[in-house]
Amino acid sequence: MQAVDLDALKRSGALWRGRRSVLMAGRVLGSGWAVLDEVLGGGWPRAALVEVLGDAHLGLSLLLPLLADLSLESRWLTWVAPPYLPYAPALAARGIRVERVLLVQQVSDEQALWAAEQVLKSGACSLLLAWPDRAGARGLDTARLRRLQLAAEQGDCTGVLFRPLRAVRQGSTAALRLRVRPAPLGLEVEVLKRRGGWGGGTCIVPMHAGTRDEGRGARQVPLPSVLVPGSSVLVPSRA
Amino acid sequence: MLWLGLYFPQLPLEVFVRGRQQAGALAVVDTQGGREQVSRCDAAAQAYGVRPGQALPAALALCADLAVQRRERDRERRALDELAAWAYQFSARIAFEPSLLLLEVGASRRLFGGLPVLLQTLRRELGQLGYDAAHALAPTPAAAGLLARSRPGSEVLTCDDLRAAVAPLSLACLTRDRRARELVRHIGLDTLGDVLALPRPELARRVGGPRFAALLDRVLGDAPDPRAEWSPPARFAQTVELLGEIGQTTALVFPARRLMVALCGFLRGLGGGAQRLQWTLQHRDHPATAFDQGLLDPSRDPDHMLEMFRERIERLSLPASVIAITLRVDDWQAFVECNLALPVGDVAAVPDPALLERLANRLGEHCVRGLRCLADHRPERAWRLCRPGEADDEEAGGSVPAATAHGLSQPPWLLPQPRPLRDCNGVPEYGGVLRLEGLPERIEAGWWDGFDITRDYFVAHSPAGERLWVFRDRRGGGWYLHGLFV
Repeated sequence: MQAVDLDALKRSGALWRGRRSVLMAGRVLGSGWAVLDEVLGGGWPRAALVEVLGDAHLGLSLLLPLLADLSLESRWLTWVAPPYLPYAPALAARGIRVERVLLVQQVSDEQALWAAEQVLKSGACSLLLAWPDRAGARGLDTARLRRLQLAAEQGDCTGVLFRPLRAVRQGSTAALRLRVRPAPLGLEVEVLKRRGGWGGGTCIVPMHAGTRDEGRGARQVPLPSVLVPGSSVLVPSRA
Repeated sequence: MLWLGLYFPQLPLEVFVRGRQQAGALAVVDTQGGREQVSRCDAAAQAYGVRPGQALPAALALCADLAVQRRERDRERRALDELAAWAYQFSARIAFEPSLLLLEVGASRRLFGGLPVLLQTLRRELGQLGYDAAHALAPTPAAAGLLARSRPGSEVLTCDDLRAAVAPLSLACLTRDRRARELVRHIGLDTLGDVLALPRPELARRVGGPRFAALLDRVLGDAPDPRAEWSPPARFAQTVELLGEIGQTTALVFPARRLMVALCGFLRGLGGGAQRLQWTLQHRDHPATAFDQGLLDPSRDPDHMLEMFRERIERLSLPASVIAITLRVDDWQAFVECNLALPVGDVAAVPDPALLERLANRLGEHCVRGLRCLADHRPERAWRLCRPGEADDEEAGGSVPAATAHGLSQPPWLLPQPRPLRDCNGVPEYGGVLRLEGLPERIEAGWWDGFDITRDYFVAHSPAGERLWVFRDRRGGGWYLHGLFV
């Protein structure tokens, strides 16, 4: 029998611990929304796959603060097959350096999946946003999802797949699965599944509560971009 | 000076077989004395007992499946020329003899890490090109050629050793002039050593003619031996003909690699890199297939090119089987071996060109784009797509702070074209009557450049709870949807 360091195991996030949410050291990226961080257990999982189920354009706003944080890195923020044009001035206004945005567009679903995998595993991108199965293709099956998940780990890249609601019936290996729908005061986010904890949490991320500011304006609690409780240094897995 | 002789004994055969991966019995025949006889044959043919010098019918009797090609001296000359273009990277002085390439390596041997390393590199690359060479080093080009042909592997570094090195060689190696050879043999001289032992005036008188003596002088370095200067071609265009036709794209990789190694040698010789590779695939009864392979940065790394090529041909369908593959590079760029990036503030640096290249290669360059802000208030003109990693121009850099002010009220998604909305008593409809929020943002610009707009932009709420960016065209009237929040 090999001795197992229990603390390390807890921190790794590989251990399921019921409702007691664990902050996974160096493995979470603060979302920039306090309510969202709460239901996500700290933030977006780093180097893992996230599925956002809902209409194609929904959910992007949730990621704008993260995009802004990650655009300070020298790696790409890659958008594969976005449903509309990302509007550069609006992105810039929310603190995103648009020079870091890489668009892969006018591609078929199959090409989008291929590109998504290349992007994830390349190590040259910190974030992938992909809309891979809009045309209703069957390419993104569970095995493919698993490959994407492995690619995300390999390239230290968080991959966010925006998928239609019907994908909810499909099994998934993604670290996080959300359902989004518009709500009167913002965006309703329901956690269908998350690694290392219970799903089922729901919150409404206030996008337009009275003021016309959003994104950075809604940041109630200043959060560091990467949460590293307890641990001393954050070492990116890529040398 | 130090000359390297590279002798290609199998050149007549190699010009045919270098494009194919698997061996099949092949003989190259030549007409000698009115009858056809085997000049060279490959290992598979030799296994059947076919030997060079055999009459063709005898060879066919031994091996019924023997493929026969007539020797093509033109092609051999062309192959030598292509080899010279590749070898130009190692030496600026190149000379030819039949089936033989002579490189002056004395001046550049230090640059390549000494002679053993240089020879090893040469041998490895020649293997990748599909040629097998015997080599010899000597201080004179004539001696280097002579030794490469008759005593491969010999390395004579000084003129003093040269005499001893060529002494054991048979006279037949030195000259093809039959009369001189016969004559010398009849007086009992078999080797060059015997000839060299004779007093010089006597030799010239006996052997007849100053030509033989002059040849000997050139070999030994006693007489000057000027060679025509070879200079590389301005552009690269080489073809590998395929003996067996190729029907699958994956089988093209092997001959393509040969061409890429040749290209990269050529580019290294000129200090350049290629950015656009033009491929042509010849078919027997069909117009040729042509396609371009673009690289993000000028490159001369065959492995990298090959990886791109593999991906490129994956989406290629062949109309017929391929009989020859041609690579052309019309213009090449100056090549920068490696760029040291500044350690700080280098935002525009491309993190990983390989990824961009892989994507652009497979999907097409128009599919992989970067994004920039422009200093303009009109939503259609406030951004542009660019080449990923493209350096910022000043207008883009200056616009970002200005955009921040009103950008917050603008949506992250923009529709490619404004979509007309139904007007219901002055209020737009989109899945129900929209509720407009706050005051409009008026954008009125462009009267000077033909794209003139006067619009009031509103944030609107749909009954479904979505937030939309709509505008009213103040000139033409009517409501349009232009962006999406959330």
